[in-house]
Formats: sequence, structure tokens, C-alpha cells
Amino acid sequence: MSTQTPQNDLLVLEEIHTFIGQFHILEGVSLRVPKDSITVMLGRNGAGKTTTLKSILGLTPPQQGRVIFDGMEIQGKHAYNIANLGIGYVPEHRAIFRALSVMENLKLAERKKGDFDKHEEFIFNLFPDLKRLYKLPGNHLSGGQQQMLAVARALVPDNKLLLIDEPSEGLAPILIQQMMEAIRILSTTTTILLVEQNFIMASQLAQRFTIIDDGKSPHSGLMSDLVNDTELVHHYLGASIKTRKEMELSHEAEN
Amino acid sequence: MKPKTKKIITLSIVVLVVLVITLLLYKVAGKEPFIRTALSGLTLGSLFFLVAAGLTLIFGLMDVLNFAHGSMFMLGAYMGWQLYTNPTFIFALLPHLLAFATGVMLLPLIKPTLVRMKLPEKWVNAIPKITLVLALLLAVFSFIGFDILAYAKTAMVAASIATAGNPFAEITPQEPFATYWIRPVLIFLSGLLVAIASAKPGNKQEFAVRERLSKTLPVPVIFFSLTILALVVRESAPKAVLLMDGNLRFAIAVLVSIIFGFVFGQVVEITLIRPLYVRPTFIIIMTLGLSYVIRELVQLLWDPLAYQMVRPPFAAQPGKAANLLEWFQKGSSTLNIFGVTFPTYRLFVIALGIVMFIFITILMTRSRLGMIIRAGVQDPQMVEALGINVKSIFTLVFALGVAMAALGGIGAGPFLPIQPLMGDQYQTQGLITVVIGGMGSYVGAFVGAMILGMARAFGDYFALKYSLSTAIAEASTVIIMIIVLLARPQGLFGKKE
Ligand SMILES: Nc1ncnc2c1ncn2[C@@H]1O[C@H](COP(=O)(O)OP(=O)(O)O)[C@@H](O)[C@H]1O
Ligand SMILES: [Mg+2]
Repeated sequence: MSTQTPQNDLLVLEEIHTFIGQFHILEGVSLRVPKDSITVMLGRNGAGKTTTLKSILGLTPPQQGRVIFDGMEIQGKHAYNIANLGIGYVPEHRAIFRALSVMENLKLAERKKGDFDKHEEFIFNLFPDLKRLYKLPGNHLSGGQQQMLAVARALVPDNKLLLIDEPSEGLAPILIQQMMEAIRILSTTTTILLVEQNFIMASQLAQRFTIIDDGKSPHSGLMSDLVNDTELVHHYLGASIKTRKEMELSHEAEN
Repeated sequence: MKPKTKKIITLSIVVLVVLVITLLLYKVAGKEPFIRTALSGLTLGSLFFLVAAGLTLIFGLMDVLNFAHGSMFMLGAYMGWQLYTNPTFIFALLPHLLAFATGVMLLPLIKPTLVRMKLPEKWVNAIPKITLVLALLLAVFSFIGFDILAYAKTAMVAASIATAGNPFAEITPQEPFATYWIRPVLIFLSGLLVAIASAKPGNKQEFAVRERLSKTLPVPVIFFSLTILALVVRESAPKAVLLMDGNLRFAIAVLVSIIFGFVFGQVVEITLIRPLYVRPTFIIIMTLGLSYVIRELVQLLWDPLAYQMVRPPFAAQPGKAANLLEWFQKGSSTLNIFGVTFPTYRLFVIALGIVMFIFITILMTRSRLGMIIRAGVQDPQMVEALGINVKSIFTLVFALGVAMAALGGIGAGPFLPIQPLMGDQYQTQGLITVVIGGMGSYVGAFVGAMILGMARAFGDYFALKYSLSTAIAEASTVIIMIIVLLARPQGLFGKKE
């Protein structure tokens, strides 16, 4: 039943099942992430998006199914081994280390000596604020600064794939814009699998989407098709999501 | 900024309370008794810290309360004392241990090949179990007929070495090589089997990069050479050690205790604790059980007696030094401090505690390991997601904690009777220290240990002065704990959950 992976897919999930305790959280999630693009996972709260990311990383290893990264089956391997293959993780709720300074948070993410020096310029160009906050302890940062640090941390080593979980959650509109811009810049060099509740942000960034619903992945395809499919959007993501027409209006207002 | 001001307020209150109490004690006790008792308190506090530091680091990172910590303190004392007075025992066992380690250290060399083997599912599951059973059998075989009790019992002879005419006459001779050689061979194979079992042959979920030989070969080669060396010097080394300068011998004893604690801690964490992280309460029961096993083994080897370890020469010469410099030159056993005569060895213990506190502070704030520990306390999953093997960090921290307890044990050796229960009191006080200082805080452990040490010393002093029961001193530490917990449930330096 396994299909031959197309050459340009960096990550493929095939029907993965994940349990947390006795709870069957993922009941067959499949998705693929083509190289050099942004793929977004959409779905309601509690649908299983975060669990899918953690299953890829091996933090909640899937019991069934295959996870293929860069042509290699990685399901069941230790999380640190998986990460060392070149996967960066930006967790939800900005899980930065509060007891560590900004500098230490970044240094800790090094996989080999000199990783940070190598990417320092790039990181500080992307988030100039962090340079100023370099010596501050993590628990003194504002929400937005913490989110930037969480993303920056994933940029310290060389990564082929970034897993980013709800980067815009709880950010002020101006910071959302900045974060979007940063992710767009990142996507020019790295493949990204994104989880995003903010449909506008998701539709502007991503080329492909996969809908996660109730631990399954009922739909996936091109983002450009989804923005026109009002029915699908309303069915899986809630009636409050703006349709394409409204989005265009807001887009014009922006420019 | 709020938490910082709060911290400063707490700190100043603690300092104020300490100052007031100090002044009060000074007034009530008088100058000389005050200085003597305070120094005794610092000595005790130093030992409490060495025990509590490991407990608190281990608890902070892994949520494990190690109830065998006191036994490990005791084991450290026994191992150091053995090297100091009866190296026969350690050198008899050394080839065994090194041969076993050589086998185990081959793991990185063989793992990449073994993991890539194509085996049926059945065998993948069965091989580790079969090899582990075989390893155990081989290990048992390698000890059959090995009179380990005789080597341990030599201790009682060597304890009086200074007086005997020919101190070496009573040392148990090592087994002749002609019959001995098979033991290290067997246990090396046992170690190799353990390595094969841990490599998990054919297991697709394991991950092993093929490294260059220049990276994987040196460690087993070093251990192999050490094994050969240990085999060769089995007979001569104990005598050489006993003839050595006493201070050097003591330094080696301290080193042996630390290394022993480090290795023992690793073995305990990997084999006994790691499988139980999913059931934290079981770990408490397991470590409690382990402490009894250790105690019984020690009683078996050395009988349930109390031994007195001779103080090292740098603090054993008769006479009183007028100042530090004179102590360093003459190695006097006592020193004049502000008109008070105080044993110099105890000053050494105080210094040991302070040096270890500085070492831990540097480790935690300056090193990558310290960074990983501080991050891991908050969120081990995220540390793992950065590509760091958190399991191996757990092992390392546990081993460090045990090594520190063992160091405390040998440090206490020359002024505490060495006996199987010597660690119990220190474990209890260490646990109280951790609660007072705040779970997981090494600064808290230091401050808490010093407070407790003082409470014990002054409790004993006043009990003696007013003919009260010495139970007052022991109760005082618990009372302090209760007061601190009522004022700050998370301990002096603990973080609120
Ligand atoms: N540790 C856990 N224990 C039990 N259930 C969990 C745990 N973590 C997540 N879940 C459940 O798994 C489901 C999916 O969660 P999650 O992947 O976080 O959703 P999403 O990220 O899409 O909002 C939810 O119903 C949640 O309640
Ligand atoms: Mg989520």
C-alpha cells in the first residue's frame, strides 16, 4: 500500500497512529511536505496538529505507520537522533528556557561547535531585537520576544526542515506581520511545515495545506484551491473563517 | 523586575535573621565556645552540603529522590578507606572491573554493524535477553572460587600497620596468575555480551552512525591496556601504595572514592532507575531497597564493625600550629584560631565543601552541561528536540551526584567511625537540607546545609551546657524545616510550581 515517495518530498507521513497514554490521538494521519515550500496544517483546536508534529520528532512516537524524512524511515527512533538529522522545532506556547539567557538559549541549540557563530548574522538580521536582549534571562522577555527567540533557536544549527507550531498565537498584529515576513524569508532556504490557526496568515504563506480533523487528515492539496472552497473551509475550520472575498478586501485595505 | 526584588527581600530577611541569631548565640555562649561551635557547625554543614548537592541536582532534573544516597556516602568512605589502609582489596578487583569495562566499551565499535543486521523480528527481541542472561552467567563464573572476603578482611590487619613489625606479612596474597587469568577473560566476554545486548542487533529503531575507527577505537584500547596493567601490578601495587607518602595516598584515596561513586552512579542509573522513570514512586522503594542491599553487602565484606581511619599526615602531627602557614609547613593536628584550638582536618573538610560549592556554581553557570541541566529542569522534551540525548544527561547528573556523596564519605572518613550506618544520618540531614534550601537549587543546598550544620553544632553545645538531651540538636533541624516551610513552602531558594 505504500506509495513510492516522489523525489521532491522531504517529509512523508503514511497513516500514522499515535497514542498518548491509552488515548488514541492520531488515527491515521498522512501528509507530505515537498522540498523548498511551506506546507500548513489546518484544523480546530484539539484536532491533533501538535501531536502530529511531536510524532514526526519522536516526542510522542507513532505506534503504526511510517514517517519518511529525506528518504529514510525515522518512526520509532529517539527524538534526539531525529532532530540531529536536521529538523528544527518551534513548539507552541513559545517553550523557551526561562532560566537561560537569550544567548544561552541560542547556544544550547548548537549541534556542533560554531553553529551559532555561523548563523549569528542571519538570525540578528531577521530579529534585530534579540541582539539587544542578548544577555537578558528568558523569563524577562515579552511574549513577542519569546516567540522570536523560539524561532531563532531553530535557526542555530543547519536544518533541512522546520516544524513551526502556531507562531502567531497571542501576538499583536504588528508582530504577526513581522513573524510572517521572517517565515517567508526562511522558506527561501528551508522547507517548512507550519501549524497556523490564523487562516489569513496561513493562506498567504503556504503553497500546500493538509487539514487535520479529529486525529485524521481528510483533505490536502494546494492552498490556492482551498481559498476558493468556502464550504470545505467552513466545514473543518469553522464558519468564522473569512472567505476569499473578505480576504481580498482586507488585503486591499492593507496595501 | 518583580521576581528580582522579591528575591532580594527574601535574601535580606535571611541575612538579617542569621545575623540576629549569630549575635544572640555569641552573647549567650561567649567568644571561645562560639568560635569552636561555629567551626564545628561549618564542618557538619560542609558534609551536609556534599550529600545535599547531589540529592538536589538529581531531584531538580529527574524528580528522583535517591534514598540510597546515604549508602553511597558510606560506600565512598569504605572505598577510600580501603585504598588508604588495605589496597589489596581494590587491586584484587581492579582487573575484573577493567576487563568488564573493556568489553562494554566496545559498544560504539560494534553497534553500527549489529544494528544493520537483517534479522527476523523474533530474534531482534530475543537476542538482547539471551545475551544478558549469558553475560550474567559468565560474570558469576568469573567469580567462582575467588576469595573476595579474604581480601576485604585484610583491612583489619592493615589498620594497625603502623605498629606491626612487618606490616606486609599479613596481607592476603593475590591468586597465582596461572589460575587467575581465566577470570578477566570470562568477565571481558561478559562485558562484550552486555555491549551486544545494548546494541540491539537488527533493531530498526536504533540509530548508529558509522564513525571512523580513530574515534571509536581509542577508548576500548585504553581500557584494555589498563586491564593488562592492573593484571601485572596486582601483587606489587598494594605494597607500593602502602609505602607511599601518606598525603599522596590520601589524595589517591579521595580520587578512588570519586571515581567509584561516578561509575557506581552510572551503573545504578542505567540498570535500576532508568526503567522506572515512568513510575516515580517505585524509584523511591527501589532506592530504599538498594540502600539495604548495599548495607548488607558491606557488612558481609567487612563485618558490622566500626573502624577508625588514620588521619592523613597533613593533619596528624602532634602540636598546635599558631597560624595557617605553620599548619601547612608542619602538618599539625590542631590550629589556633582566635585563641581556640581546632582540629586542622576539620578545616580541610570545610574547605572541601566550599571548593565543591564553587565547582558546582561554575559547572552550572558556565558550562554547556550546566546549561543543559538548567534547561532540562524546565522542559526535558524540548531539550531532546534540540538534538540532545537527555537520557545520557540524566545518567551523568546522577553519577555526579553520587560521586559527590562518595567524596563526602571519604572526607568524613578520618573523623567519623567507618561503619555501615554512617551515611544514614547524613542522608536524613541532606533531605532536610534540600527541603529547606528548595528542591533543585544548589545555592539553596549550600545555605541550607550551613544552617543545619550550625543548628546541630549549637544544639549539641547547649544540650551539653545545660545538661539537656542531645535529641534537641536533632529536633532543631526539623523545627527549622517546619518554620521555613510555613514561611516559604517552596524552600528558601526554590521556585514556585
Ligand atoms: N498529554 C496528553 N494527554 C492526553 N490527551 C492529550 C495530551 N496531549 C494532547 N491530548 C489530546 O490530543 C488531542 C490533540 O491535541 P493537539 O495535538 O494538541 O491538538 P492541536 O494542536 O490540533 O490543537 C486533544 O484532544 C488533546 O486533548
Ligand atoms: Mg496545538
